[in-house]
Amino acid sequence: MVSILAEKGGITRRQFFKGAGVLAVVAVVAGVFAKIGIDMFKVSDDYIAKRAAGLYTLDEKMAIRKSHENPEIIQLYKDFLSPGEVKPMTEKAHHLLHTRYGQDIPALLEELRHYQGEAA
Amino acid sequence: MSDVKGKVLKHGEQTRTMHWLHLICFLILGLTGIGFYWNIGWINDLFGGPANASLVHRWTAVVFTAGPAIYILLNFERFSKFIDTISTFTRDDIQWLKTMGGYIPFLKGKVPPQDKYNAGQKILGWVVILGCLLFILTGFPMWLWRHAVSPAFLDFCYTVHFWDAMIMMLAVLGHFFLAAIHPQSRVEFSSMMLDGYVDAGVTAHHNAKWFANLSKLE
Ligand code: HEM
Repeated sequence: MVSILAEKGGITRRQFFKGAGVLAVVAVVAGVFAKIGIDMFKVSDDYIAKRAAGLYTLDEKMAIRKSHENPEIIQLYKDFLSPGEVKPMTEKAHHLLHTRYGQDIPALLEELRHYQGEAA
Repeated sequence: MSDVKGKVLKHGEQTRTMHWLHLICFLILGLTGIGFYWNIGWINDLFGGPANASLVHRWTAVVFTAGPAIYILLNFERFSKFIDTISTFTRDDIQWLKTMGGYIPFLKGKVPPQDKYNAGQKILGWVVILGCLLFILTGFPMWLWRHAVSPAFLDFCYTVHFWDAMIMMLAVLGHFFLAAIHPQSRVEFSSMMLDGYVDAGVTAHHNAKWFANLSKLE
């Protein structure tokens, strides 16, 4: 008959403390790491909140806060974009105030040249 | 070898399952990691392109982390004994390292009796534990915190993760060579990869200190 040998069951105090100790160290390291991460999220959220508050404050301090109430813009419409009145979306306003990007830039330049020298 | 007859149960079923699971995860993680580090097209394509390879890497990492964690909780005694063995270094272990267990032809000297694991395996045990912890501690922030942490910290994680991978792959390659290829040590192959048993004569010779404390099952 072949005999089969195996380890005895149970552990000693020393083995228990070593096993538990390693797990405890790992738990502490993971905890510290998680804490660092959570703090970083807080700092980042804090920063975003402050930045947003700053932008709102700056905006509230502005004398003119809406472009359609800006006297200079109103004047521009009266003198040039819709001569004699304040009328948005005229042909001229559409072509001059909308910009284009990338490959469409040469065509835009061409168009702007077309309006060159024109004034009310 | 000695003339002890019989066999020794070295690794239980859960241990072997966990070892297989971790091995497969490691291979997938290593392969996908190499794929996106060097941007190797065919490796990425194995996993359905770079974006999918990245997802495979992350979710395999979850198994890579949860597997051993569950194993340790279910087998706390086994784990404690393992930690006890690999954290015990005596004069015999130092002497084993000086002779490199007799594996290197020109290093002469008597190889002293060893525990369940020889001094080299003990060191590998620590390398694997620390290496895996580093993977976890750098990998999950690279996944979950990437938009909250500073670029410098993220870069630090990537660098540590990468070098950890290089060192661990070399360590695992060495481990594979001794466990599966080297004629003197591959006699233990089946104890981890198959049925859990090693020949008693081999154990009496390679792990004399551990062997002395075994008891008969039948
Ligand atoms: C808990 C385990 C792990 C986690 C959570 C994890 C997570 C990650 C993440 C999120 C990335 C970033 C790549 C991307 O953006 O998709 C990454 C990269 C990488 N991983 Fe892992 N990983 C783990 C384990 C491993 C293992 C075991 C290996 C190798 C054996 C490995 C090798 C690599 C390599 C080589 C890279 C590329 C590094 C670089 O670009 O600098 N990882 N890992």
